Amino acid sequence: MRHTLIALVEDRPGALNRVLGLLRGRGLGVYSVAIGDSEKPGVKRTTVLVDTDVAEQMIKQLNRLIEVLEVIDVTHAQYVVRETALVKINAPEPLREEIRAVAEGFGARIIGGCTQTVVVEMTDTPDRLGELIERAKSFGPCETMRSGSLAMALGAPAQRTNATVPEEASAAWWAQADGVS
Amino acid sequence: MTDTAPASRIPHPASRTGAQVMCEALVREDVEVMFGIPGGAIMPFYHAMWEYRDRLRHVLCRHEQGAGHAAEGYARSTGKPGVCIATSGPGATNLVTPIANAWMDSTPLVAITGQVSSAVLGKDAFQETDITGITLPITKHNYRCTRAEDLPSIFREAFHIARTGRPGPVLIDVTKDAQQARVVPNWDVRIHVPGFRAPRGVDPCAVREAARLLAGASKPLILAGQGVIISGAVAELRQLAERTGIPVVTTLHGIGAFPEDHPLSIGMPGMHGWVHVNRAIQECDVLLSIGARFDDRVTGKASTFAPRARVIHVDIDPSEIGKNVKVAVAIIADARCALSALLDETPPRDAAIWLRTIRETQATHQHRQPYLRRPEATEDELMPHDVYAALDAELNARGGYRVVTDVGQHQMWAAQLIEWRRPRTHITSGGAGTMGFAVPAAMGAAIAHSDETIWAIVGDGGFQMTNQELATIHQEGIRNVKIAIVNNGYLGMVRQWQQLFEGRRYSGTPLSGPSFASLAGAYGLRGFTIDRIEDAREAIRAAWDHDGSAVLDFRVEREANVFPLVPPGSSIGEMITREGAHA
Repeated sequence: MRHTLIALVEDRPGALNRVLGLLRGRGLGVYSVAIGDSEKPGVKRTTVLVDTDVAEQMIKQLNRLIEVLEVIDVTHAQYVVRETALVKINAPEPLREEIRAVAEGFGARIIGGCTQTVVVEMTDTPDRLGELIERAKSFGPCETMRSGSLAMALGAPAQRTNATVPEEASAAWWAQADGVS
Repeated sequence: MTDTAPASRIPHPASRTGAQVMCEALVREDVEVMFGIPGGAIMPFYHAMWEYRDRLRHVLCRHEQGAGHAAEGYARSTGKPGVCIATSGPGATNLVTPIANAWMDSTPLVAITGQVSSAVLGKDAFQETDITGITLPITKHNYRCTRAEDLPSIFREAFHIARTGRPGPVLIDVTKDAQQARVVPNWDVRIHVPGFRAPRGVDPCAVREAARLLAGASKPLILAGQGVIISGAVAELRQLAERTGIPVVTTLHGIGAFPEDHPLSIGMPGMHGWVHVNRAIQECDVLLSIGARFDDRVTGKASTFAPRARVIHVDIDPSEIGKNVKVAVAIIADARCALSALLDETPPRDAAIWLRTIRETQATHQHRQPYLRRPEATEDELMPHDVYAALDAELNARGGYRVVTDVGQHQMWAAQLIEWRRPRTHITSGGAGTMGFAVPAAMGAAIAHSDETIWAIVGDGGFQMTNQELATIHQEGIRNVKIAIVNNGYLGMVRQWQQLFEGRRYSGTPLSGPSFASLAGAYGLRGFTIDRIEDAREAIRAAWDHDGSAVLDFRVEREANVFPLVPPGSSIGEMITREGAHA
């Protein structure tokens, strides 16, 4: 199944390569990766959507990477997700009004264009972006660019699940942290 | 107007070249020997090394793979990180096999490679290879250093990572200009690797739960792996076993973690483990695994492994927990800390009835076990078992030895037929199964332990993969390596599978070689050829007493097999005990 992981990764050369290399080595399908600066200097926050049946195991292996400071799997937690898409839509003059109406309906914006096409920008859930793109195709061939999903868990910040072993960790804590049965 | 040079042209009195900083860093890390081969991109380092030759011994190997395995042999026999060096491009790629081997076997290894100058990086310069990219999945971590000022902290971190927690290989790739640049090194480096977490302490709740399971078990079993040896927990393991009477199984890499002449030792499990050991695993109700990772050569078909057991898994690496088998209690800790904590919580008990059952199974199969006795053969044919019987007798009569084995039939026979007693006396390539490991690794161990005799046991296939290191052994004046070639003229393990599972189609397995004794002579070593039973012990004694390294070519029966054998993909409960017979 598809898991949504949020990882804090030190901004060192090759760090992202290491993360993706590990997923590749396990033969996992990566749906999207988004990476950018976090609130901490020198640390990137990344959202990875990956298809796997062994997420716990994979997260532990990710945690072995030196640059990986923290990984959380928010799939079953309370979280929000957004993605941005740029869609270049075939837009000869007679269709422009209709396209404008469609974009408005989706809460998207036309941010550029020429005589033949317009570029629409939309930020929403991945599913909703998919709907926009399907609709855009009805106007003719289109070109799409998606940012990859950004996810954020709800609740207090700095919630860490894989910090250093607490001195007095309980069995229940370990069971939760390591997914052992 | 003045003849003094501009200030910027005068080197600071404390400035050093990057290469000198590298040497200084190695001295600071207590490195005493390194194995390598120079080349263009690493020449500045070799230039500086000359000034440090009284403190840093360099062993010039004949192939970088040999250098890497030699460093592994040094590391595995001492517990300290081994160091190997290569130039860029092919030199670096030749290190890939030993790095992968060290990765699979958790061996602390620091590999240092030269790299083309940063100005031409990425431009397909002569002997340029992206070695940090290549070694990404087979190193704990790797570094590309392009600035001399980064060297002190990189070396400090690299050694820390290689030896801390679950040990493993770290590669440092240093561009030529970083080796040449002058810097005033800042040695006041603090290790700051926030993403590198080694467990501290032991979870007391998990320990109590484990102790409770052990106390309530009627058929408990201890599975001891290399983690016991790495953490130096041999005494603690013995205490726990003796206090509880729980029988101890040792994995291939766990050999030496528990003395095999101890009444609680029952032997090796897995693909070539003993019938009574595999049976015990299948019957036990609590399995305490310490520093072992449930490799498929131990578990057989993992879903059928230890079906009745609740597994207590002690491992320093959280990612091993639940990877291959389901775990009831996980103790993520250094084996010694975990064993100490368990000792505090575990009351004395005994498991005498259970042990007796295991011994009965052993006795039932013992007299039918051709793999323990000398297999039937024509009278004067030298069987592999004769070689091991002679070697075992001599090793345990003399002491002061370590044995390095390669990969294949001879390796399994060594694990089975020699009675192992001390940690770090059995060194082999387990996880990666790297043929060609033994000869250079024995050389590395011999340098670390010049007062001991290092036996390499190797097949004729593996020997011919790295035997060029005989020249290194001779040039370095290494006198304590004795190489026993179990020579059957086949890639024997593959041939055995072809015999048992592929209708004796010996495709690509018959193997010829030179006269190995003559080859040894050509390299300046003593050579022996042994093809009769009565000469085996005598030759071993003569080689041992010979003041110099030696090669013994044991020409054994060509189609002897390793038994018992769990067929690939089967449960370890299903064993072939000889051709056509199952247990």
